[in-house]
Amino acid sequence: MTPYLVLFAAGFAGSFHCIGMCGGFACALGRDGRGQGGTVLRHLLYNTGRLTTYCFLGALAGAFGQMICTSADFSATLPLAEPIDFAQRALAIVAGLLMIMIALQFFGLLGTLHRLTAGLGGSLFAATLRKVLNVPGHATPLAFGVFNGFLPCPLVYAFLAQAASTAGAVSGFLTMAAFGLGTFPAMLMMGGIGGVLGPVWRRRGVWLAGSFILLLGLTTLGRGVLPAGMLHGDHLL
Amino acid sequence: MSLQGEGFCDHCLLPLGRRPLQRMLNGTERSFCCYGCCIAYQVREGRGEDAEAAWLLIRLGVAAFLSMNIMLVSLFLYMGVFSGADARLLPWVHGLLFAFATPAVVLLGQPFLQETVQHAAAGRLNSSSLVVVGVASAYFYSVFAMFNGAHVYFDTASMVLLLFTLGRYLEAAGRARASRDLEPLLAAESEIATVVLDGVETRRSVRDVMPGMLVRVLPGDRIPVDGVISEGESNVDESVITGESRSVHKAPGTPVIAGSVNFDGPLLIRSSGAGSNTRWARICRSVRDALSHRSPTQRIADRVVAISVPIVLALSGLTAVYWAQSQPIDQALLIGLAVLVVACPCAVGLAAPLATTLGIGRLARCGCLVRDPGVLEALAGLRCVAFDKTGTLTVGRPTVVDIERDGVETEDVLARASGLEQYSEHALARAVTAAAKLRGIRPAPAQDIRIVPGRGILGTFGGEPMAAGNELLMSDLGWPLSSHLRARACAIEADGHSLIDVGWGGRVQALLSLDDTPRPEASAAVAGLESRGMHLVLLTGDLQEPARRIAAVVGIGQVEARLSPEAKRQVLHRLRKERAAVAMVGDGLNDGPVLADADVGIAVGSATALARETAALVLPDGGLWMLPWVVDVARAVRRTILTNLLWAFGYNLIALTAAALGFLQPILAAAVMAGSSVLVVMNSMRLQQLPDPDPSEIAGRQAQAFHQEPSPNTSAVKAEYQPTA
Repeated sequence: MTPYLVLFAAGFAGSFHCIGMCGGFACALGRDGRGQGGTVLRHLLYNTGRLTTYCFLGALAGAFGQMICTSADFSATLPLAEPIDFAQRALAIVAGLLMIMIALQFFGLLGTLHRLTAGLGGSLFAATLRKVLNVPGHATPLAFGVFNGFLPCPLVYAFLAQAASTAGAVSGFLTMAAFGLGTFPAMLMMGGIGGVLGPVWRRRGVWLAGSFILLLGLTTLGRGVLPAGMLHGDHLL
Repeated sequence: MSLQGEGFCDHCLLPLGRRPLQRMLNGTERSFCCYGCCIAYQVREGRGEDAEAAWLLIRLGVAAFLSMNIMLVSLFLYMGVFSGADARLLPWVHGLLFAFATPAVVLLGQPFLQETVQHAAAGRLNSSSLVVVGVASAYFYSVFAMFNGAHVYFDTASMVLLLFTLGRYLEAAGRARASRDLEPLLAAESEIATVVLDGVETRRSVRDVMPGMLVRVLPGDRIPVDGVISEGESNVDESVITGESRSVHKAPGTPVIAGSVNFDGPLLIRSSGAGSNTRWARICRSVRDALSHRSPTQRIADRVVAISVPIVLALSGLTAVYWAQSQPIDQALLIGLAVLVVACPCAVGLAAPLATTLGIGRLARCGCLVRDPGVLEALAGLRCVAFDKTGTLTVGRPTVVDIERDGVETEDVLARASGLEQYSEHALARAVTAAAKLRGIRPAPAQDIRIVPGRGILGTFGGEPMAAGNELLMSDLGWPLSSHLRARACAIEADGHSLIDVGWGGRVQALLSLDDTPRPEASAAVAGLESRGMHLVLLTGDLQEPARRIAAVVGIGQVEARLSPEAKRQVLHRLRKERAAVAMVGDGLNDGPVLADADVGIAVGSATALARETAALVLPDGGLWMLPWVVDVARAVRRTILTNLLWAFGYNLIALTAAALGFLQPILAAAVMAGSSVLVVMNSMRLQQLPDPDPSEIAGRQAQAFHQEPSPNTSAVKAEYQPTA
């Protein structure tokens, strides 16, 4: 359970990064004309849609990792199990490096990656989201959340890398579910109270998220590089 | 508000209520009771492909939510999470999947089902029916299996639909992008004009604008009518009509063209014609016509799609039956389903129309109008182009090309000649005054003007008689030609030039040689076409000599002169025998029958030719230089269609084989199919990146000519008096 708690915490910290981009969407979704209950439902639907996409992507990434590590034990659905063979080590190294790069970008140390991640089909998504936002009804926030989940975002990429490194569809799903649930509080708050959080706090949140991702990246990398026994004891990641 | 409260919603026909929603749709104002009705109306009635996309998106989002959940729950099923001790949960899990899958299948499947029913009513099977049959079999098998405790395939049913819908959405987005290019051209019919009547502004459809009405146009708006500015000053962009994308300054008194965009200031325009009779409106109608036609390739593709559907249905049935002999029934059904899904010929049906639409839009934005999508394909395969001479390769009116003198100054000759000729409306006379004006020579103040019909003009200048006219006039007057001038006159007439004798002081002092000059852009167009492998022919009713000279100047090798319109058609027939297909380029005014007879009739600068259906392609005025570019666009369109078809067929064939052999899961097959459609759209979208026609070469020529004109180099024997185009 512990690793998922860490992922949840990372998601929570990371969601302060989300406020920058997706918070804008949450605000744009706005309030419901039918009062407080309607507004809450609206944002719950939106976040549920987002979470579903994350889980689906997590499962896909995990299945992809599994495909690479064909020799990985099928029944070992426990995530972040000790490395089994070379393929899994290689996967862990790639995922770890990717996460470290994203973490560095969060600290503002790596500029180029940002352009790379933002350029991936961003314009189509923006057009798509704009169209959906204008349509009233309960289906809109749900659909909107689903599309929002597919938005190119370095935070999501980092956790997808983590999900892929678990080399299992179910563990990938659980990884992204933990992360997605972690982003819930901040995003829900965002829909309710808007920009209460000052820029100082937001920057601290981004640093915290970066640190978490760096930690996760380093341990994932460690699973690939270090001898099998070394990380066995702590079972943290 | 109180008035509107009594109305009815245009969609659901319920009373509008106090706050109706009003939208301008297709030129008429529509009122709706709610946004839902507005969308539904647009989806049902609207041409707007944006509305279609928005509606699809909501469905897609909700269905994606359901399908992803189904996928995740199914994942646990496949993992065997509900085996052993948890097996008692299995019926509940199946029930949950059923609860998710049913709305997803209904939401996503409804458009497919609707299409199938529509086509079935007309006695046809289309590709949607493949999806419907496949998904329905997966869904109903799963419902059946649910009650028997067997494995369910709700994930297959919903994911196949989701992927197909996703493909449709991307397709709709692509079409919407293609139509955005055409939008300013199609807007003419639905445009609303603000008419000022007795100081009161009313908004009315452009069709109801009569000549003489005042129309107000705000900055950023499109000018809806042809007319003259009566108030205001602004810069406008006329590129929709002229193809030239630059801003033109307009002040009171200057004419404006419907379809141009007003940039800076508010304008008050007095309409000069009916709103529905502008060139813009005619362009709009012709583009709409072109889009509603189908090209030959498209017709073939449609036929292929039509016959492939029953074949695929039979094939998938056979595959399922074959595998059922060695596999459990659900596995055999899955393989059959994969065949059904992967053989869906959506991409084949999409291959031609998107590329053609983009091509027509691309050409139309530069002022080149196409009447039929088939023209693009014909143009792409073209190897021979025949040109009409007068008005097409040449400016179509005489200009002074040469001045032969007998010891007098050119200025003097032109001043005296124009002093006389300014009183005549004859085409040759106008050419003389234009030549003087171009050189900055003031016409001599002639007096006692007398026009001798069929001969020329007489007058006096400073008391001295002078004359300009033909040889008959000079011999009437008894003014002799020097032997030098007489020899030149013979040579000039042998060349087919027109001749004006200018005399004063009792004898002929100079000869003006006049001829039709080639358009400045003609040689660039000819060179461009030749470098694209075209054989060029000049067809003219004119004399051999002038035709040969023009051909030599612009660079055409084969000349057929002294042809009657009937003879032109015979030559076209002969050329067609030799070179398969021939295009004829004319001005569309007096060569209509010949244009109509060619494989591709191309008219330069005459939209009336399009209206009379004689020309299949119309270039803007002075747009001959664009012809090589048009050929490039046509070839790019054909190439895109061919690669699209090749890709769609090849992909289908390979995937079909893999599916029939049982290598392809239905969900994967659906992803493959959606990917195929998306690739076709993306390949077609590359047409938008075609370069604009490059006017630099022709602009350079004009600038060169412009620099030569003002120089008072009177010793130039062959003076080029080209009027600026």
